[in-house]
Amino acid sequence: MTQPPQLPPPWRRRPTALLALSLSLLLAGCLGDQLRPLPGLNQRLAQLGSSHAPALTGRWLALIAGPPGRQQVQLIDLDRGLPVPLVGLNRPDSQPLSVAVDQWGERLVVVRQREDRTELVLHRRSLMASERLPIEPAGVPRQISLSADGRLLAVEVSRGGRWQVDLLELP
Amino acid sequence: MAGALLLAGCGPLGLRRQPAPPPGLGAQSREQAALSGDGRLLASLIERSGRSTVLLQDRRSGQVLPLPHLRDHQPHSSPSLSWTGRYLALLVQRGPQRQAVLQDRANGRLLPLMLPAGRQPQRLSLAADGRRIAIELLDNGQRRVELFDLSGLVEPDLAPGQRQSGGGAVLP
Repeated sequence: MTQPPQLPPPWRRRPTALLALSLSLLLAGCLGDQLRPLPGLNQRLAQLGSSHAPALTGRWLALIAGPPGRQQVQLIDLDRGLPVPLVGLNRPDSQPLSVAVDQWGERLVVVRQREDRTELVLHRRSLMASERLPIEPAGVPRQISLSADGRLLAVEVSRGGRWQVDLLELP
Repeated sequence: MAGALLLAGCGPLGLRRQPAPPPGLGAQSREQAALSGDGRLLASLIERSGRSTVLLQDRRSGQVLPLPHLRDHQPHSSPSLSWTGRYLALLVQRGPQRQAVLQDRANGRLLPLMLPAGRQPQRLSLAADGRRIAIELLDNGQRRVELFDLSGLVEPDLAPGQRQSGGGAVLP
């Protein structure tokens, strides 16, 4: 009487499956901190062309985008994946260098080059109005950071060959 | 503290100016300032032993907060803080590479944020709740901003009014 053929143990039966499982576990461990891109939003951002100087709050992403010489501040509503209009902010005679935005997407602060000077501008989106913020003592602004409520602004300013940080409470 | 709550005056637009908190190392250059979402903390870069180093301070008192896990990864650049400052994202040097990292100050964990191959981080901005990050990348010579999801890696750092049960941890 012949014995039925004995099945090999599971790890011999499907070596390739086990190998694949081991590899995937290993990769999961190695890539545990791999950043997960947000493909839908990134596709929208790619449509803006070259972009830099991001400022992110919960719902809003401000950045500078566009072809060289014609770059503009853009504000993206991440919930809708669409840019919103910034009436009165972008000007053909100015080049934005840095931008910050509050958590409501209401206040934007921009450092921009206009004619021969670098200026600091506060823009209120609901009012469609921009106003220049004076820098005292005089200096050249570069990067900026805005608190989430839009009331406190940190400005990196060059004065006499040294970089300093000014803190401004905005009205 | 010299920097505490001193208001240097009101400008024509009703601006009130405050001196940035002193670094405790004398007057020196500081760059790339970043405020926490609640405005309580200020991160900036100073030179230490010739290397650009992030300094985290309480804005009102000037107290310097320790960041021991970042001590050996200079030069630092592009600091960005979450709402309470629990999370500090920045670029550090690891061997020949610039790398984005996220420091969780609640537990001291330093999390490397691995980017897809071939993309070099230039600048970053962390959302106030810490759940997303925007990174300016250099890819084939072109600068491009991309967004990444961190929600699987961090607890949200929410504003007090946004707190959920079991939500973001409170700093010690």
